[in-house]
Amino acid sequence: MKFLTSNFLKCSVRECDRSNENFPLKYNGEKCQLEQDESLEFNPEFLLRIIDRVDWSAVVSVAIDLGNSSLPSSKPEFTSEDLSDEDMIILKDLHTLLIKTNIVEGEMSCRNCGHIYYIKNSIPNLLLPPHLA
Amino acid sequence: MLPTPHVSCDYDKVYEPSEDSFLILDALEKEQAFLRTYFRSKPTVVCEVGCGSGIVTTFMMQNDIPNEHAIYLPTDVNPWAMDSMVESASLNNCCTKMLSPIRTNLTSSIRPREIDFLVFNPPYVPAESVPYMPLDSEANEGDWLDLALLGGDDGMAITWKLLDSLDKIMAPGGIAYILFCARNHPEKVVKTMSTRGWKCELTEHRKAGWEVLSVYKFYR
Ligand SMILES: [Zn+2]
Repeated sequence: MKFLTSNFLKCSVRECDRSNENFPLKYNGEKCQLEQDESLEFNPEFLLRIIDRVDWSAVVSVAIDLGNSSLPSSKPEFTSEDLSDEDMIILKDLHTLLIKTNIVEGEMSCRNCGHIYYIKNSIPNLLLPPHLA
Repeated sequence: MLPTPHVSCDYDKVYEPSEDSFLILDALEKEQAFLRTYFRSKPTVVCEVGCGSGIVTTFMMQNDIPNEHAIYLPTDVNPWAMDSMVESASLNNCCTKMLSPIRTNLTSSIRPREIDFLVFNPPYVPAESVPYMPLDSEANEGDWLDLALLGGDDGMAITWKLLDSLDKIMAPGGIAYILFCARNHPEKVVKTMSTRGWKCELTEHRKAGWEVLSVYKFYR
């Protein structure tokens, strides 16, 4: 799954919806195997809109889980219409992280109920066993 | 007319694209211009619930439906559907699109109010009950096909599950396209959903053998 996908995934257990701990899931950095997907082109316009949309603290938290603690704690802002060279560097970094980074194998758990979910072949499996569904 | 994507999967394990799938493609094609204007350049989170072979999501990716800033998060309970989705995307040269399939039940692991565009070809065939979800280790191939097909009472058991939480699922301004057969009594659905404040419009319908199939659009 894409790194960006982690910004949309919560625990599937219905009771956890009442907690604020069901998102983002906690990724087990030791078990996560990452790959860079080179087929997705850098598109600054798309990225600006994505950044505007994402839950930044969740991006930071998942990045830390995966061993990247270089992100600022507050969302980067791009004020001017023309992007500076510095802006472009930040955007390219975020493109690499959010769009190109693919979690091929791994596991993550809910901070509320502790249920562990697995990623295999780039597909996260959030289906619950019958007794939890 | 927009070309139909090529799909090739094992139809003993994954629902084979049929009249219902093609009607959805036609409905989406009809709506394409409207959707471009409606969403403009907003980043859209797109979720096809029960993507099966992946034909519909692939079609959307090929034609930038609903717009070119889409993030595609198709879901299915069937593990084989996940493989088919990825394969159909690559078979149709969609590797430059933002695609990330999720194995889950309906939208139950996607954060609430994040989906801008939803498409659902549900298990709509009336049946005595909805089949129970097998464990992967115990599943027979046919079990997944039954799950894709059988919809319990009026064939609406699963569709109502989604419709009843549509408020929680859809982002503000979101649009959902859902397929029905005549035996689902879509006119009753329209009545109920209208009282809940949803605009419901018939987008496309067609007689397919014994069935009359229709695609309705739900938005606020
Ligand atoms: Zn949980």
